[in-house]
Amino acid sequence: MERELIESLLFTVLKVLVVVPVALGVGAYLTWFERKLAGHIQNRMGPTVVGPFGLLQPLADALKLATKESVIPRGADRPVYYLAILLALVPSVLLLALIPWGPAFELGGRVIKPIISDVNVALLLAFAFGSLSVYGTIFSGWASNSKYAFIGSMRKAAVVIAYEVVLGFSVLGVVLLAGTLSTVGIVQAQIERGVWFILYQPVAFVLYMFCMLAESGRVPFDVQEAEAELVTGYNVEYGGMKFGAFPLAEWYLNVIALSAIAVVLFFGGWSGPSILGPLSPYFWFLVKTFGLVFFTMWLHWTLPRFQAKDITDVAWKILLPVAIANVVVTAVVKYFF
Amino acid sequence: MEYAGLAVVFLLALLIALGQAFLNDLIGYRKPDPMEDYPYECGVPLYDESVRGRFKQGYYLLGLLLILFDIEAAYLFPWAVVFEEIGLYGLVEALLFVGILALGFLYAWRKGALDWEL
Repeated sequence: MERELIESLLFTVLKVLVVVPVALGVGAYLTWFERKLAGHIQNRMGPTVVGPFGLLQPLADALKLATKESVIPRGADRPVYYLAILLALVPSVLLLALIPWGPAFELGGRVIKPIISDVNVALLLAFAFGSLSVYGTIFSGWASNSKYAFIGSMRKAAVVIAYEVVLGFSVLGVVLLAGTLSTVGIVQAQIERGVWFILYQPVAFVLYMFCMLAESGRVPFDVQEAEAELVTGYNVEYGGMKFGAFPLAEWYLNVIALSAIAVVLFFGGWSGPSILGPLSPYFWFLVKTFGLVFFTMWLHWTLPRFQAKDITDVAWKILLPVAIANVVVTAVVKYFF
Repeated sequence: MEYAGLAVVFLLALLIALGQAFLNDLIGYRKPDPMEDYPYECGVPLYDESVRGRFKQGYYLLGLLLILFDIEAAYLFPWAVVFEEIGLYGLVEALLFVGILALGFLYAWRKGALDWEL
């Protein structure tokens, strides 16, 4: 018993040590990918100087960020100023624990699940962590003692709370169909039926995509950054690695995690034709996830930005009624058929 | 045991975040300048020493609405999970619940709480 406990704890630590550093590394390299993509969308080359195809650019950026002087604006609330960084990064990393990368398999007589914590309230936890990260934004704006940062953080708070509500209602349809909140369970429900939930819940998927863009502060909902008016908004008074934490958490880790959850909810998780043998579930999961990440970046560099007032208007007056109607229709249809 | 995974991730995330927060204080170079920590505002001296004063009430109103609707959504999650077991009773109850919620929503809308008032 004792031995088993220690063994399973060891496996958990091992899984964490694989998933989290890889995700952070991918997050850092997505900066390179995004700059390349943005460059080509705007008919430029993107980074080309550091390394072949600019591939060493993220390392150079990290080195530069790490050696910057630490400047904290006068009048700043120092404990809150540092707390904001922790509150921005920690929930985004925690989201990674709830993502099922593939089906459970057996290795040497023990069952291994490629998910760090397979709990039955995973979806609820995911949205809780998503909501927590808004504190990072609000605290950073409040603590910085700068008007740009303050306005940016208030806007972000308004946007995120509007879309939180829509997000909650939009995934209810999928939960109704699957009958579980566990991420593994939702994927299995889709595999058993042999159909992806996007076919039953197309409206919910569109609503989810709206919410995903709003929560991760991506164009067209990036009013909190608004570089033309607020010079990047809530994190403008942060420098060096302190600054680096915010885009890493919000633009990259959040987008990866929310895309992965979208894949779980709507695209059948790891399901797909077995083209790579035992590795194909992971292949399909990553392909679908990064397809969505790519889609998000594509929108980011193509669309213009909404006004803060239009964003909250769209959320409350259009998306929320549609989301509630979707839940009611799903429940009624599911009961009678 | 599954929750232990969350705890481990939390510890690692905290470690990384602390690293990011304090790295520049540890290894960044230091060359203090009298005006380097001055918050900027269009290149003129600050009008207000502190920005944490008044802000638009619209944000506060939206915050109130969130409390209302997000908690309602949280109540519906357990209902959605056990929907198949509770049958017609659950369906009717939830429809009543959503109906009352929709009434509250219409009330807020008619009162103008959803408009971004200037």
